[in-house]
Amino acid sequence: MNHKPLHEAMLNAVRQTLENMAFMEIMEGDQDYEIPVDEAAWTSMLIHDPVQGEVRLAMPKAVLKKLTGNIFGLNEDEITENQMNDIINELLNTIAGLFMTNLLPDEQEYQLGLPELGEEELPEVDTDTIVWKLMTSDEEPLHLFASGASLVALKSN
Amino acid sequence: MKRIIIADDSATARMFIIRCLQIIGLGDAEMIEVEHGKEALAAAKKQPVDLLLTDLNMPVMDGETLVKWVKASPKLCDLPVIVITSAGNPAKEAHLMELGAHRVLNKPVSPPMMMDALADFIEE
Repeated sequence: MNHKPLHEAMLNAVRQTLENMAFMEIMEGDQDYEIPVDEAAWTSMLIHDPVQGEVRLAMPKAVLKKLTGNIFGLNEDEITENQMNDIINELLNTIAGLFMTNLLPDEQEYQLGLPELGEEELPEVDTDTIVWKLMTSDEEPLHLFASGASLVALKSN
Repeated sequence: MKRIIIADDSATARMFIIRCLQIIGLGDAEMIEVEHGKEALAAAKKQPVDLLLTDLNMPVMDGETLVKWVKASPKLCDLPVIVITSAGNPAKEAHLMELGAHRVLNKPVSPPMMMDALADFIEE
């Protein structure tokens, strides 16, 4: 299968999504930074076809709250958990779609699942996972993960 | 007053669509927000509607099924349907247009994108 570079596909998807939805610029972040386990908010989405995999978006809860306030135009004390959950899901939904559009040839259709909020700790990064450690222009961390052997294999094709 | 149905399981996505509609001059329209295709169909059958904007990937009834139902209904078949999706590409777009969608827009939506898609609708 012909495809475009995996790293750029994700980076451009995140940039386009955050610039349009939250008016935020995105850049490469600190590659050594790990989001503390008890502060992480994350969501995941399955890719069903033509490759099988999963994409995840994670950020500290405080960053998600700030993003939610920016997007909905609310003060922090007005923000509900439902709004925060909906924002992170919709961000990933949009990022995942753009990622696949950027990655695959124009004539290639693809099928995605629905976003699902992470209730447990973020899954560990294994050899079939690629991580993008990004940050906003306010230097707030934003991490993306793509996993699944057939998806990650596109990196080296 | 125009009546517009916005079908998306995400409140955030619906808010973005409504903001775009307001910016392009449709702020006076009655916006009916629903969370999936089945609710959209029920709302469209209940009262006259001028436009249906729908997401593709939704629980209960997805956007593609909704387009098929609308276009198969003698009462609703003339209703313009615009699909707004995060999972769009030229092949998918062609398929949805073949089913009867008026336009297919990719998320994230923007006012210029919406203006371009709805130019005819606004002029009416």
